[in-house]
Amino acid sequence: MSWDTGMPLLVLASSLLPGLVIFFLPEERIVTRTTLNLAGATLKLALVGVMIWGALYGHHYETRLPILPGLDLVLRADPLSILFVALSSILWLVTTIYAIGYLEGSPNRSRFFGFFSLCVTATVGVALAGNLITFLLFYELLTLVTYPLIVHRGTEVARRAGRTYLIYTIAGGTLLLLGTVWLYTLAGSLDFTARGFLSGLGGAHHTALVIIFVLLIGGLGVKAALIPLHGWLPQAMVAPAPVSALLHAVAVVKAGAFGIMRVVYDVYGIQFAATLGVTLPLAIVAAVTIIYGSMRALFQDDLKRRLAFSTVSQVAYIVLGIAIVGPVATIGGLVHLVHQGVMKITLFFCAGNLAETLGIHKVSEMNGVGRRMPWTMAAFTIGTFGMIGAPPLAGFISKWYLGVGALDGGQGWVVFILAGSSLLNAGYFLPILYAAWFKAPPDSWPAERSFGRRETAWALLAPPVVTALLTLAAGLLASAPFSPLQWARFITTLEYAL
Amino acid sequence: MNTTLSAILLLSVPGYPLLLAFPALRSRSPWPCHIALLPAVILLAVPAAFSVDLPWLLFGSGLAVGERSRWLLAMAVVLWGAAATLLRAPANQPESNHLTTFFLLTLAGSLGAILATDLVGFFTFSTLMGYGFYGLLVNGGEMAAQRAGRIYLALLILADLALFEALLIVAAVTDDLSFGAVHQAVAPSASLNLYLSMVLIGFALKAGIWPLHFWLLPAFRSARPAAALLLGGVPIATGLLGAVHWLPLGEISSPGLGLALQWLGVGAMLHAIVAGRMQGQLKMLPAYAAIFATGLFITALGAGLADSAAGSRYGDLAYLFIVSLGFGLAVLTVGIGWLAARSPDAVAPAKRAGDPAPWFERWPGAVVRWGAQMGSDTLPRLRASWLATAGRLWQTRAWQSALDGGERSLQRWAFAITLLLLLGVAVAFIGALS
Repeated sequence: MSWDTGMPLLVLASSLLPGLVIFFLPEERIVTRTTLNLAGATLKLALVGVMIWGALYGHHYETRLPILPGLDLVLRADPLSILFVALSSILWLVTTIYAIGYLEGSPNRSRFFGFFSLCVTATVGVALAGNLITFLLFYELLTLVTYPLIVHRGTEVARRAGRTYLIYTIAGGTLLLLGTVWLYTLAGSLDFTARGFLSGLGGAHHTALVIIFVLLIGGLGVKAALIPLHGWLPQAMVAPAPVSALLHAVAVVKAGAFGIMRVVYDVYGIQFAATLGVTLPLAIVAAVTIIYGSMRALFQDDLKRRLAFSTVSQVAYIVLGIAIVGPVATIGGLVHLVHQGVMKITLFFCAGNLAETLGIHKVSEMNGVGRRMPWTMAAFTIGTFGMIGAPPLAGFISKWYLGVGALDGGQGWVVFILAGSSLLNAGYFLPILYAAWFKAPPDSWPAERSFGRRETAWALLAPPVVTALLTLAAGLLASAPFSPLQWARFITTLEYAL
Repeated sequence: MNTTLSAILLLSVPGYPLLLAFPALRSRSPWPCHIALLPAVILLAVPAAFSVDLPWLLFGSGLAVGERSRWLLAMAVVLWGAAATLLRAPANQPESNHLTTFFLLTLAGSLGAILATDLVGFFTFSTLMGYGFYGLLVNGGEMAAQRAGRIYLALLILADLALFEALLIVAAVTDDLSFGAVHQAVAPSASLNLYLSMVLIGFALKAGIWPLHFWLLPAFRSARPAAALLLGGVPIATGLLGAVHWLPLGEISSPGLGLALQWLGVGAMLHAIVAGRMQGQLKMLPAYAAIFATGLFITALGAGLADSAAGSRYGDLAYLFIVSLGFGLAVLTVGIGWLAARSPDAVAPAKRAGDPAPWFERWPGAVVRWGAQMGSDTLPRLRASWLATAGRLWQTRAWQSALDGGERSLQRWAFAITLLLLLGVAVAFIGALS
């Protein structure tokens, strides 16, 4: 096995092996567990860095292992997979540091970190999948390894949320499986190919292809939280903050949105999908999800629940970018895959800090919290302004490309959706900032923990500050080489053969 | 001047206050608000026009100082220096750190907007200025200041949305977003009228131009001395500067729009005279002076848009006007402040009891109350019940509960729905295979 064929496996193994070892570590082996966690996350990041460098110099990283006659398990580093794998590797390292701080002293940490590593392994598998069957395997693995993380606290509410999550995602997975099998019988291939591989099928198959599209998007839409398949996401916010961060920014919802990208661009091909007439309904579903999620977020007093509905809305931007047929909107969708992740993880880290340090879970408890936790709330402020789409933050770049793409593609109505959504985003985020920065703090906080002169533990504070800076950098340095925007532009040139 | 040095100097004009806005970075600095102006003062002292291109910034941006922007920069330095001297949080309140942060953020945005050479750069800096100024307005203030801040913030968001739409329209016709290139690209565009409308609405909201001047009066009424001094030279001046930069003056002749703007400007001036006289509070004189002056500006802008030849000439005058406006309003505010210190009753008579909301907050409530009253007394019961239900829905947010209920039902039946779906799919599958 050469370096080029082994690289995708190495990237997978960098989280799989530490995860498996961690399962068998006794609870008290804190140093070993922490070392394994951080070493795995750092190694993965380094390997992904090497992979990006190699891909730029013409290396073709691909692993192909036969699983059934005519069907291979394919792991491949193409530009789209590199975008997602880089995002998950960077955010996994940050989330690992955060989780170490967050779970300090709590029980069942070996179990937690074991599944945590497996969750990232599955996400990387989803990202590197070179065909639909490999994608499906890792997609389902992701469902199974995320469930223990959601129910980690073992409360009745957590178990109920876990149950709902399983029902939704397994049902979605079944639809995906059906669509995949049906597609295989029609096309005889499932390999992801730039600009798709179905356009050669005759007109007689078009009805079947539309039904398959609905099945695949229905299956993927569960994890992407498109309405009405989003019900599991607000419930799953009972999970610990690092898990919420992982669910909302790195792994689960992103796997759904990424899957929709793969199906539209590399299975159907965007032009063929438009010919079949499936992109406009997808755009409408995304638009409705954007507005619905924002309206639901508007009146949630529970901070994490407000953020969860915000995710429902924000992830739909990615789908909207895909469904508006045109290169500029595609750039917007692709870049928002990264930008939403960085911004939303910042917000969940901050929500976790407020809960762990002061016992704050509700927006109505946040009066004056900016004075008590200025760094956390500064990071939160950057995250929220990013979500609103204020310049020069990451969200502004996404909305810019989505808006210009919509005008470019002759779908001006999308601009009104973006404007309405920005208004609603401001409506549910700015009152939080007003309460935190301008209202007087209460005499005492719900459950305050002391960290000496610091506002909270370093391991809890550094991750949101770093991701907030990334939010700023992704917007401010959007035109710099190697920015997410430039990579998204590069992918678009391939998908549209520009 | 050396290219690197000039680039550093230009970048540090907005960059240095931005850095000092972090409390940790200014903790040992004796007068951070004054020191933050140092790069701008040095830039003014260097008698040369220079610019820096920043292709890596946003979508490719730049900063420049020329003859026109030098005047604006000079005005900004004087006004900000004076405001920094006046900047004090009320005694025994912990807001001074926050106030300094907002002051420096607003300063960075204001200076950056003066030096920006492209639409996105200007938009970014003016947004920073706007949110920072909101902090200056409300920080530690009373109820009236909070109301003024709330109105300002709401209008700022609407203004930014309008300007964002304008930006999208421009980006659809050109990749080069520098002011000159945009003027040439947008002039022959089919979306010109929409672009002009968005720009005019956006900057009218930002600058508080009549009849979109909702934030102006509450802000002048409640702002603390430092913020009051800056009202003319910062949010109003930046709004007017934005209109000059974004509108393709000299490139188009639009007599209809020009005439409409001229009438609007005349209306603003008349409104300022009549309402100002009726108001009778000397403290509010700068506010009505601002409405009058922006009305004059809009009248001239209308003339510039009506005739491309006039538009070309209008550019230089507009800069001088903005500088005069900034200084004039500041002098007026300081003068009235001085008078208020000598005889408070002459400037602002005793307040009425309570804290009256402005008309646009009072009227909708009054209309609803009137409707409810009419409905229950003389009109058919149906209307009364509608009003009552609407009020109850809003109060209890019943529609949110309905959405919650809908989601719960979906979850309860998720398994059954899925099975049904699968059955349908299986039938379709078998049908397709056969």
